[in-house]
Amino acid sequence: MLPFEEKIDRLLSMPPYGLPPEERQSGLLDLLKDELDYASGRHAGYKNFIQHWPTDFRAATRVADLPFLPVGVLKANPPLCFVNPEEIKRTLTSSSTTSQVPSRVVLDSPTARRMTKGTVSIVRDFIGSDRRPYLVVDTPGYMGTGELGARGAAIQGLQPFASEVTYCLSSGGQGDLQLDLERLKQFSQDHQNAEVLVYGFTFILWNHLVKPLLAEGISLNLPKARILHSGGWKRLQDQAVEKKVFDEKLAGVFGCSADRIVDFYGMVETVGVIYPDCSAGNKHGPVFGDVIVRDPLTLEPVAAGGHGIVQVCSILPTSFPGHLLLTEDLAQVIAYDGCLCGRRGVSFRFAGRVPKAELRGCGNLDSKRSAKN
Amino acid sequence: MTTLSIAEIVQSVDSPAEISAAASKLRQVISAEEITPNEVMNVFDSWAKNLDARELDDLPGIPFLRMWLRRGTLEPIVTRELGSEAPDGGWTEFGRARLRAFPLGIVGHWPAGNVEIQPILSMTCGLLGGNAALVRVPSGLVDLTRILMEKLVQGDLSGRLTRRIFMAAFEHGRQDLQAAMAQAVDGAMIWGGAESILQVRSLPFPHWARVSVFGPRISIAAMDAGAWGNPNGQKTWCLRLARDVWQFDQQACSSPQVLFLERGAGGSTAQFLSNLRQAFETENRAHPRQSIAAVLTSTICQARASWLLNDPSHQAAFPIDPAWTLLVGSGVELPVPTQGKTLTVLEVDDLAEAISKWDGNVQTLGLGMANEEKEKKLALLAGSKGVDRIVKLGRMHVFVPPWDGVDLIRPMVRMVRHVNSTE
Repeated sequence: MLPFEEKIDRLLSMPPYGLPPEERQSGLLDLLKDELDYASGRHAGYKNFIQHWPTDFRAATRVADLPFLPVGVLKANPPLCFVNPEEIKRTLTSSSTTSQVPSRVVLDSPTARRMTKGTVSIVRDFIGSDRRPYLVVDTPGYMGTGELGARGAAIQGLQPFASEVTYCLSSGGQGDLQLDLERLKQFSQDHQNAEVLVYGFTFILWNHLVKPLLAEGISLNLPKARILHSGGWKRLQDQAVEKKVFDEKLAGVFGCSADRIVDFYGMVETVGVIYPDCSAGNKHGPVFGDVIVRDPLTLEPVAAGGHGIVQVCSILPTSFPGHLLLTEDLAQVIAYDGCLCGRRGVSFRFAGRVPKAELRGCGNLDSKRSAKN
Repeated sequence: MTTLSIAEIVQSVDSPAEISAAASKLRQVISAEEITPNEVMNVFDSWAKNLDARELDDLPGIPFLRMWLRRGTLEPIVTRELGSEAPDGGWTEFGRARLRAFPLGIVGHWPAGNVEIQPILSMTCGLLGGNAALVRVPSGLVDLTRILMEKLVQGDLSGRLTRRIFMAAFEHGRQDLQAAMAQAVDGAMIWGGAESILQVRSLPFPHWARVSVFGPRISIAAMDAGAWGNPNGQKTWCLRLARDVWQFDQQACSSPQVLFLERGAGGSTAQFLSNLRQAFETENRAHPRQSIAAVLTSTICQARASWLLNDPSHQAAFPIDPAWTLLVGSGVELPVPTQGKTLTVLEVDDLAEAISKWDGNVQTLGLGMANEEKEKKLALLAGSKGVDRIVKLGRMHVFVPPWDGVDLIRPMVRMVRHVNSTE
C-alpha cells in the first residue's frame, strides 16, 4: 500500500463538489506533491523532467505551480509506466483517427480501483446512487479483452450503476454498427415506468439510434431514462448537428425531457475523473481532481472569463503520469466558485480543440529530402 | 495617372473576378511605362526612411526591412544580378554582346504566413526587376502589411511604383482565388512549408510562367571548440546566436534549430550553456513575445517533456512560460524542429560528422569558429551536402542573394542578349 493511500481514500470518500476552493487546493496540493515524489522514484525520465522544472515542486504553494506534462507524452509506446510489468492490470487506449497515435495508459489494481471509485463518486452526484437497468448504445464486443478503448472504458465506468446491462447495437459483417431494434423495444417494454440508465458515445447515439428511430417514427416511451453521453462533438459538427437539436431529438426518441440528458467530457488519460455538464451548462472538477485553464502566452491560470488550454489534475493514477496533464483542449473559466448549480470550485466550458498548426512556413521540414526521393 | 490609396492596394478579395480585374489593371500599367531599378530604389530608400518611426519599432522585422530597402543594400545586388548598367535601365557589355534585363510582367508572390515581413520582401524582389506585383497576403499578416504599405504610399508621391502593386488578402484554402492568381501571372515566388509549396505549385500557371521556390528548409548553428571554449568570446557568441533564434520567432528557414558544439575544449560546456541561457533571458526581456498560438505552446511543452523523459542524461533549461527553451544532449542526428525559440544543443566529437549526414534540408549553416582552416573545410563539406548559405552566427537572417542557392531578382526578369549586327 502506498504511504499516501489513506489521503487518497479520504478525498475520494468526500462529496465530490462540496469543498470551497481554498480547502480543495490545500488537500490536492499536499497529495500531488507526495505523488510527484513517488513517481520520480519510479521512472528515471520522469525524475529528470521534474528536476529540470524551473521551480522546486516541494516549494509550490498552488497546484498550478506543480510540473505538468503535455498529454501527448502518453502516446509513447511502450507507455510511460510507474509499475512493474506484472503489476499492470489493464491498458487503456484513447480513441484516435487512423492518422493519429493513440494514448496508452497502464492501470495497476490500486489505480483501477480508484478510477472506478472516482467515476462513481462523480456520476452519483448527478444521477443518484441507485442501480438500474443499463442500456448501452454500443456492442458487447466492443468491451473486448486486453487493451480497452475509450468507449469501453466509459461503458465499464458506469456499470456500478447497473442492475442489468442490455447492449442494443450489433456488429454487421463489415464491422459496421447495426441497431438491434427488437432488443431495444423489449428493453423499452420491460422498463417503461422505471428509472433506466442509457449511455452511448455522442456520435453513435445520433447515427445509430436517434436517426434510425426518427426515420421509423419510433418513440421508446422511457420517461425516466437518464441518458449520459461523451466522446465529443466533432463528428456531429461535421453533420451540422448542434447540441440543442441533438438533445431535443434524443429526448424525443426516448420520450423523456431534455434535462435528463447529461453530456460529459472524459479521456482515458484522466480516466476516473469525468466532467459532466451541470444544470447551468458548466463543467466542474471534483475534490480529487481539478481543472486549470492556462493562458497560452504565460501558462499562468486565466482569470474568470478567460480562455486558455485545459490542464486536468487528478490524484487517482499512480501507475502512469496522469496527475497533471496539459490537454489539447481549450476552455473558458466561467467562475472560480459559486456556480448556480451549487457545486463548489471552478466552473468551466470547453471551447474546442487546440487548432492544428497553420502552415508554418519554411522551417518545418521534418523529413529529409533523400527520404522523399 | 492618380496615386492609389492603401485601401486600393491591399484588398480583401472574395471572387476570382476581382483578382482578374486587378491583374488586368497591372498589365495595363506595365505596358504603358517602364520603371528602372534606380527609380524603384529611390522609392524604396524613402520607404526605408519612413519606416524609421518610433511607432513601428515594436513591429516584427522592421529593422531588418529598413536595412533591406536602403539603396546601399540593394544597388550592389542589382548590379551583380542584372549588370553594371542595369540600375538606369541600360545595356551591360558582355563580351561581344550586351545584356539588358526586361521584366517578366506580373509576378505573383505567395509568402509564408509566419514571417511577418515576407509579403513585402518577396514583392520588392519582383519590383526591382521592373515587374508588377500580385501578392497574396496571408490573413494573419494583413494588418501589419497595411501599416508597412502605408509608409510606401507616403514615399511614392507620383504613384509610379504603387500602381504596380496589388495585394490580395484571402484565406489559404480558397482554391478558386489561388487559381485565379496563378492564371494571371508570368512568374511566381513561392515561400513556405512543404505542404503549402506543393499546393501552390500545382496551381494552373501559364506554361510560360517562371517559378522560384524558397523553402522548406531549416538552418543549423555550429561552433568549434576553440570558439565556444574561449571564455572571452562566449557571451558575444551567445548573444549573436540568441538574436538569430529570436528573429521571426525561429520560424524562418534561416532560423537555427540546432546548435552543434564540438567537444574538445578541455572543459565542460556548463559555462557556455549558462551564458547561452543568460543571452536567451536577455533577448527575451528585450523582445518578449506579444502573443502565441495555443498549438505552439502545446508543441513547446511537448518538446520539453519528451526531451527530458526519453533520456535521463538529457538536460534542459526553460522558464515556465513558453518564451524560450534550451534542450541539451549529444549526437549528430538532427531532431525534428520545434520552433518557437526552442534550440537543441548537441555536443559532437566532430562537426564534420554531423554535417556529413545532411542531405539538402539545411539552408543556412551559422558558424562560430576559431579555426579558419577548419571553417573552410566545413564550408566545402556543407556546400556539398546541400547547404546554400554559410555565414557567421548573428547574421543568419541577413537577406542577401543568393538565397536558397538562387538569385532574388534575376529569376524574375528576362536577360535579353543583343549582338550588334552592324559590326
